[in-house]
Amino acid sequence: MAIVKRAEGRAYLTPLVGFLLFFLGFPAAVNLVYSISTVSFETLRSPTLSGFGNYAAVLADREFWGAVSFSMRFGTLTALAECLIGLFLAVFLTPLLAKRSYLMAPLMLPLMVAPAMIGLMYRLVLHEFAGPVPYYLFEWFGDSPAFLDVDNAFRTLLVVEILQWTPFAFLLFYMAYAAIPLEVREAASLDGASALKALWWIELPLMLPTLVIAFFIRFIDGFRVFDNVYALTGSGAGGSATSLSIYIYQAFFKGGAIGKAVAASVVLFLASLAVLYGLNWITGRRRR
Amino acid sequence: MLNLLRWLVFSIAVLAMNFPVIVTVITSFKSARELSFNPGFWIGEPTLENYTRVLGETDRFNIYGYLFNSTVASLIGTGLAIALAFPAAYAIARSEAGKRTLLPLIINLRAVPLIIFAIPLYMMYQWLGLLDTQLGLGLILTIVNTPLALVILVNAISDVPAELDEAAKMDGASSRQVMLMIIRPVVRPALVTTFIFGFITAWNEFLFGLMLTTNRAVPMTVGASFFFAASGGGVQWGTASAVMVLGALPPALLGLLMYRQISASLTAGAVKG
Repeated sequence: MAIVKRAEGRAYLTPLVGFLLFFLGFPAAVNLVYSISTVSFETLRSPTLSGFGNYAAVLADREFWGAVSFSMRFGTLTALAECLIGLFLAVFLTPLLAKRSYLMAPLMLPLMVAPAMIGLMYRLVLHEFAGPVPYYLFEWFGDSPAFLDVDNAFRTLLVVEILQWTPFAFLLFYMAYAAIPLEVREAASLDGASALKALWWIELPLMLPTLVIAFFIRFIDGFRVFDNVYALTGSGAGGSATSLSIYIYQAFFKGGAIGKAVAASVVLFLASLAVLYGLNWITGRRRR
Repeated sequence: MLNLLRWLVFSIAVLAMNFPVIVTVITSFKSARELSFNPGFWIGEPTLENYTRVLGETDRFNIYGYLFNSTVASLIGTGLAIALAFPAAYAIARSEAGKRTLLPLIINLRAVPLIIFAIPLYMMYQWLGLLDTQLGLGLILTIVNTPLALVILVNAISDVPAELDEAAKMDGASSRQVMLMIIRPVVRPALVTTFIFGFITAWNEFLFGLMLTTNRAVPMTVGASFFFAASGGGVQWGTASAVMVLGALPPALLGLLMYRQISASLTAGAVKG
């Protein structure tokens, strides 16, 4: 029997549930209503229902699909790179870090700095006169690319995101790698498996759940990226750096297209539900 | 030999991943004059003038205001999240309620891009008069912090043997007393971790600060970006660097002091969630 009665347990849950309903449930309902209404800043409180015109407008908007494509590519590529580099670092550096755990601190530092702040810092790093990167590129090669123009902004932002968040993937893999029981490793080496073979056939399969989870977490975070992109480029670079989050922000604040922004929000919500459902399905199947 | 290679890889990783921070710290100790001819990695004549300017001349850019706003909003956002999540975590760990639907729902919340709620929240805040207030920002940060707080606390309370509760109940304690007087002291380390981690997350939040504050309640992350926007093309990079260093310092210091607890809770939140 449970220690706390169900009714009493419910009472302890109530404040949290009430808070979330008020701050998320209500906005979600507003989203749904406004997404099928004609609404502007002047008529905020009296939206008129108008069917699915906002959705049609969003789905017909080339900028919307540009933003979807940016977010998809950005999320996939950063998650992939972060997981690969993080996995390599975790496996390769474990002998070094196991005895000196203080070395973890500098590896984790990027996770403590606000992504928006990192974005601002790269404005300095990449600045053509004050930034060390263009300075040294000029010094050594006599030329430096425009890191934030239309052609290069995407790649630059990839690198910025990957460098900041690889430590996250690394940390998860490092913990998972350390959690593999010693007996498993000993058994593998007694059977004559080389270190590489043990890694590929025994250790990586054991770490697979963590790999999947880390990839999804990083994919979702990359997909919805806002802070560092906005802080570094505005949204600028000729629209080449518009993630879905930035699209929604701009439609609302700059364009005043509330219905469109809200409809895009609902689309994003449905997309994230689909991803979550997929993730739960995968991890649920593994547990069975 | 292989160990040497490991040290090399470690050093490259640390330098690359912390590169923007390192550059900013270096630049913050350079005078405007030196910066005009030396954007490199060495400092010819180290100076504190950027810091004295940022901390001394507050008429145009008041960094104390931003730091204060961030502190207040982050404290609300962390304290309230724990106050709401702790009883809920106790209920989930010790009763039948909430385990099957509520917990997974709230955990999944972490993966939902919160910007989709931003527009209705903006309108709601307008009606409630919460726009541009520290309280309003703090309430949103509470939402940001709740999922991880709940996961960490549910895990921590589940790890406490239930015999402890039963013994206290035998002695006539109510559930409420057990929760506050038995469980709370036992899971204190988890509460501290939740607090530190929540504070760092809240301090580093940017999107809602940008959308929901304009003047009186602007947090440090947004304030720093104002500094760039306001100075247009002619950014004073030394001063700007000092602003960024000071703005990033509180969470970075907390994080470096508590990195062990944070790494453990990050992993717990990701894997058990």
